[in-house]
Amino acid sequence: MKKIVRLFKAALLLLVSTLVLSGCGFPGLNSSANDTVRIAAQNTTEQQIMAYMLSDLIQHDTNLKTTLINNLGSGSVSFQAVKNGNADISAIRYSGTDLTTIFNQEAIKNPKVATRKVREIYRDKYHMTYFPSYGFADTYAFMVTGKLARQAHLNTVSDLKKLAPNMTVGADQIWINRKGDGYDGFIRSYGFQFQKVYPMQIGLVYSAVQSGKMNAVLGYSTDGRIKSYDLKVLKDNKHFFPPYDASPLATNKILKKHPELKNVFLKLKGQISLSTMQELNAEVDNQLIEPQVVAHRFLVQHHYFDGKGDQ
Amino acid sequence: MTDLNIFQQLIYYFSHNGMYVLSQFSRHFLISIYGVLFAAIVGIPLGILISRHSKLSTTVIGIANVIQTVPSLAMLSIIMLGLGLGVNTVIATVFLYALLPIIKNTYSGMESVDASILDSGKGMGMTRFQLLYMVELPLSMSVIMAGIRNALVLAIGITAIGTFVGAGGLGDIIIRGTNATNGGAIILAGALPTALMAIISDLVLGWLQNRLDPAYKRAKTSK
Repeated sequence: MKKIVRLFKAALLLLVSTLVLSGCGFPGLNSSANDTVRIAAQNTTEQQIMAYMLSDLIQHDTNLKTTLINNLGSGSVSFQAVKNGNADISAIRYSGTDLTTIFNQEAIKNPKVATRKVREIYRDKYHMTYFPSYGFADTYAFMVTGKLARQAHLNTVSDLKKLAPNMTVGADQIWINRKGDGYDGFIRSYGFQFQKVYPMQIGLVYSAVQSGKMNAVLGYSTDGRIKSYDLKVLKDNKHFFPPYDASPLATNKILKKHPELKNVFLKLKGQISLSTMQELNAEVDNQLIEPQVVAHRFLVQHHYFDGKGDQ
Repeated sequence: MTDLNIFQQLIYYFSHNGMYVLSQFSRHFLISIYGVLFAAIVGIPLGILISRHSKLSTTVIGIANVIQTVPSLAMLSIIMLGLGLGVNTVIATVFLYALLPIIKNTYSGMESVDASILDSGKGMGMTRFQLLYMVELPLSMSVIMAGIRNALVLAIGITAIGTFVGAGGLGDIIIRGTNATNGGAIILAGALPTALMAIISDLVLGWLQNRLDPAYKRAKTSK
């Protein structure tokens, strides 16, 4: 009996030591060591490019290590990751989306007011800092093929009204179900609905409309495939889609612990325009280049590693 | 891009993103290795323990069997509730799946040691620890190694779905391929190295297992 007790003690000791060891982080993985910053990124191209850009800059400018929490399914998942302490930074947050989907507030049509409101809520309620925008705004946009646009003289979303009863449309599954600026709101605001709206993975909508599987799709205005597929973005003439200023978000906790991070975010402020983002997205989506490589090339080309923005 | 066939695309992909694939490859490998390593640290002593106390063996192996039947994606999500997103969740999942092959093989390796050899050891005045260290472990080492080999191949497959909790690894590349427009080449660029990693580690550990086999040693010394 004594022997069993002794063996159990030994097994327990082993178990405890493994747990303690795993708490220290694993060498080579930057898992949970003390000087590691964790960046949350969603599963869209744009998010991953910006996450790698931040990660590259942080590693270059500070002594910190970084690790990515990649491929998260939606804006609310990546927000939860930051809120629950699984991540310290969210690579891109779109002000309009956060306002309606995370804070459950009414959509605000004025971009500046929306961004200010979002920043206030993050600061007061969640103790996080919503930084100034990277310089581009992303928004949902209806798009059709250039050919259809020319044939049917489509320029604005309202122009779709006469075709809508016979149209199949592909859209982000998150958008279809959401309140305020979702499909319900769209029907109310524009006064028509489509024959059928299919929920789709957002990355696939562009090829779906190009190949004729869908008559129109709801995609992101920053996607590089708009240009390369000759898609026509229809003007949102009723200003239904709220402005989605793209900015990074960080917890005040990590900023307090590593104040040098602040400069990294400010370095990228206003540096990436809508057309730059479209180009970067296109390199990933059409040219088979990984987001990490695209991000690194951009930083090298624009001299971020030889002193740009350093005081 | 569209004028290239899928293999040309694959070559193009590797030539531009080689370093990235390499870093994800090593990350993938490390995650699997860490999980299996912890499973070995816990599993081998546990296997030895249950071979000494055969009453425990059915319970312990039963529990490990139950763990094994949980689908890996479900296991990953359950552990995520406790450990959150990130690499630790995947390592814990790999650890749990690697336990069964390691415990089971350690147990059967220890059981297969001939009682008469143990008796002669005892007759020579060996202590219990000496018996374990100088007789039982060397004789069962190749069976234990077979368990670790099974566990590692299993682990590499499980790590690939770790991308769903944001752990990175080659699964990241596969998932990105499913999102990209002509992602066929990207999917291959993630899937081929994963398969290659599993095959190579299986071969290397298989070789090691043969080397550790007592029959191999005997054949060598008798020459």
